[in-house]
Amino acid sequence: MKTTKSRRDFLKTTGLASGGLVIGLNFLQSCVNEVVNIPVHLEPLVDLENGFAAEGALPLTDFLQIRPDGSVFLSLTKYEMGQGVSTGLSSILAEELEADWEKINVKYIKSSVSESDITGGSTSTLLHWDLLRKAGAFAKYLLIEAAAREWSVFTDECYAESNHVCRHGSEMRLEYGQLVDKVVVPDNYRELFETVPLKYRSRFKLIGKRLKSKIIPDIVTGRHPFSIDVQLPNMKYAAVLRCPVFKGKLLRFDDSEALKIPGVEKVVRVDGVILDAATHIRDGVAIIANSTWAAFQGKLAVKAEWELGDNAKVEHEKFVADCLKQLDSENGTEILRIGKKVQESEMDDIISYTYEFPYQHHACMEPLNATSHYKVDSCEMWVGTQSADKIIANIEKHLGIPKENIKINCHPSGGGFGLRYSSEYAVESMVVSKAAGGDLVKMCYSREDDIKFDYLNPFELNKHTMGIKDRRPLSWDFKNVMANWGGLLGWMYYDVPNCSGTQITVDGFTQVGAWRSVMANAEGFSTECFIDEVAHELKRDPLEFRLSLLPRNKMVDFKHTYKCNINRLRGALELVAKKAQWGKTMPENDGQGIAVYPYMHGNGYGAVVAEVSTANNEIKVTKITASIDCGLVINPDQVRQQMEGGVIWALSAIFYGGTEYVQGVVQRSNFHDNPVFRINEIPEIKVHICENDETQPWGVGEIAGPPTYAAVCNAIFAATGKRIRKLPISKNINDL
Amino acid sequence: MDAIRLVINGTTHEKKMDPNMPLLWALRDVVGLTGTKFGCGIAQCGACTVLIEGKAVRSCSMPVRSAVGKDIQTIEGVEATPYRSLQQAWIDEQVPQCGYCQSGQIMNAIGLLESNPMPTDEEILNAMSGNICRCGTYPRILKAIKSIVERPSENNSI
Repeated sequence: MKTTKSRRDFLKTTGLASGGLVIGLNFLQSCVNEVVNIPVHLEPLVDLENGFAAEGALPLTDFLQIRPDGSVFLSLTKYEMGQGVSTGLSSILAEELEADWEKINVKYIKSSVSESDITGGSTSTLLHWDLLRKAGAFAKYLLIEAAAREWSVFTDECYAESNHVCRHGSEMRLEYGQLVDKVVVPDNYRELFETVPLKYRSRFKLIGKRLKSKIIPDIVTGRHPFSIDVQLPNMKYAAVLRCPVFKGKLLRFDDSEALKIPGVEKVVRVDGVILDAATHIRDGVAIIANSTWAAFQGKLAVKAEWELGDNAKVEHEKFVADCLKQLDSENGTEILRIGKKVQESEMDDIISYTYEFPYQHHACMEPLNATSHYKVDSCEMWVGTQSADKIIANIEKHLGIPKENIKINCHPSGGGFGLRYSSEYAVESMVVSKAAGGDLVKMCYSREDDIKFDYLNPFELNKHTMGIKDRRPLSWDFKNVMANWGGLLGWMYYDVPNCSGTQITVDGFTQVGAWRSVMANAEGFSTECFIDEVAHELKRDPLEFRLSLLPRNKMVDFKHTYKCNINRLRGALELVAKKAQWGKTMPENDGQGIAVYPYMHGNGYGAVVAEVSTANNEIKVTKITASIDCGLVINPDQVRQQMEGGVIWALSAIFYGGTEYVQGVVQRSNFHDNPVFRINEIPEIKVHICENDETQPWGVGEIAGPPTYAAVCNAIFAATGKRIRKLPISKNINDL
Repeated sequence: MDAIRLVINGTTHEKKMDPNMPLLWALRDVVGLTGTKFGCGIAQCGACTVLIEGKAVRSCSMPVRSAVGKDIQTIEGVEATPYRSLQQAWIDEQVPQCGYCQSGQIMNAIGLLESNPMPTDEEILNAMSGNICRCGTYPRILKAIKSIVERPSENNSI
């Protein structure tokens, strides 16, 4: 933490002399929101490290700037990876600020200390909603006060509208840009920030509207600043040949052929490191060259000898078989208990099935990359990341550079989906820069690297067992086996009197990480396929049976941040059933399937009805109808985008997901053997947004996947009579 | 290393490079035009699509020597052509999410419309099936291209 003079003094001495109004916002929940007004010059924009690190507060991690030309800049601590936070968060700010939407600009942060936000769990909008509203309202308040002072009138005679402060009943108007150097920050700014009046929902002009994305104009012209596009003076390009087996060791390498390749300049050893259970850099050899292609060619020419270690002895099938044995053992930790343990003698019947959700690849369109400059006691990086703070912490830990000397330039990226929640690739690029003697290097994964060294969705087995008494569920026991990462969520939202959730963690043989919707994928898939099986065995309609177990006005406590609101869950289910005409007569060989799931990390609720056809023995998903309750809707078009994308993401995983290991080595390598859905494979997708009474926005980005898996598999059952309990599946029904 | 002369978006660039380097990397790392994206390196994803003599080509799989003397068009040059209306259609339909594949999607769509100005839905889907999008923007890509096909009078000179 930097020490400067006290904030109060800082404000007094600099508050009035500004060339623009800057409001810093500390988004760390543990801290009081800090607000400062500092002098700025028109160009360039101030960086976060300049003037925001005041005594008594952690350095500020987000800010709003209004420039003398009236333009408004919001710096994002939330990471833009395609989920639309830049536009959504800007609109919340602009709403309260009464800013002209066309004058709102988005900047990506330069994070110099380990306090930038982590982006994940579909929480960006919900966590920034209140703060950005207050920031906008607070800035508006200061601008109105400045105008009133200029005009020598009372503030209640003034109002803000479209980037102007106006006076009621007169032609008097001042543009925001004309007021920024007249703003005075009062001594009670903290209290003011917390108590500043916010707009009534009925007066929203931007929130709830289909505002256009702030980043698309740059995307369609090729100007969007992905980190892979960084070009810096004296920059070299690097590729890394990594040990093919997790935790294997580099014995020796021969670079003689690589160094003959035109453009290859150096070949250096990369020493792997295990920073913590989830952070591993592999042993490898880095090739430094004058182009990415030369580095890639050099990598192919390096001959390396490895000691592959125990993970090379692991066979995938045996690993799965061992996990299955664990399910039948008494091992595990009980993470949830509702009601009591029911004896088998109390049950009329027991229904029990196990579901397998495989390792899954991310295959983000932008391969992993980072540009790093190691300077012994300081360093700088250009990277797209969901967790700049983890990168900083791990560089400090591994390379000993004090965190205040680590500067991370955050870029938007070509997909994240949880992959960029891992910090390894970024830290690895700094290790490469160091190994190369401090060269500034852009390290880029080839697609083959990106697939083979992916931080995969963990393999999961979920066993559901339901005890039936008098044709109703009496007990529901849910057991999970997972390798290395995360834990059982145990979101058991159905109203069954006696429930338990048990987690068994096993040592995995490969690296895993976050993957869009995380553990809700496997749990949503298994829970919603299982409840469908139970409905069928009890001869109940799948929709009616679900609704019978979702009592109105119930809030279920999973010991999670948010309680599960059964009314919202029901609402999503009922809306999708109505819109998809659940129960309609389907052609022969076709089927409908339904599923619902709460995504409690973001407190958003989704439901899906899938329609499949099986003509000519080929499974084709013909239509997906999806619903979402994401609370107050910031931008309905972005909600639809995320739902469409989430559905297609899940369809890829259903038919093409998983991975294969032989002797510890990932066998997939590129899009030919790790296929994903293409435009000519997608079904018609309809998205419906639930009306609701929520007073704030909730999560969106990870809602669609979990119910999609189950709805499609349940539809396949309806069409074929075959239950799917393991993903991925073939498109040929004879292979099911 | 040879001196290679490339005509990109109507401008001539002469740089020293390995003539076997794929056009993609010549554009990105040597000429400095980074709008063309690296996705797979083996012509499986379409992110690197450019136009050579008006035809969509995967630049990751074409040696730069094969592009010498030919008219190369990249995403950076589209605004100066009538196909800016296609970029506008991408904005109107709010197609991109992360945006990484979209340079290639747009260039591939231009290649399609150059050879077939009035494609059917099926022809659009077939032509665009070589371009992967991981965010799932496919429904909107189809809508954006259809909007251009269905409103030819508003898109003068395409």
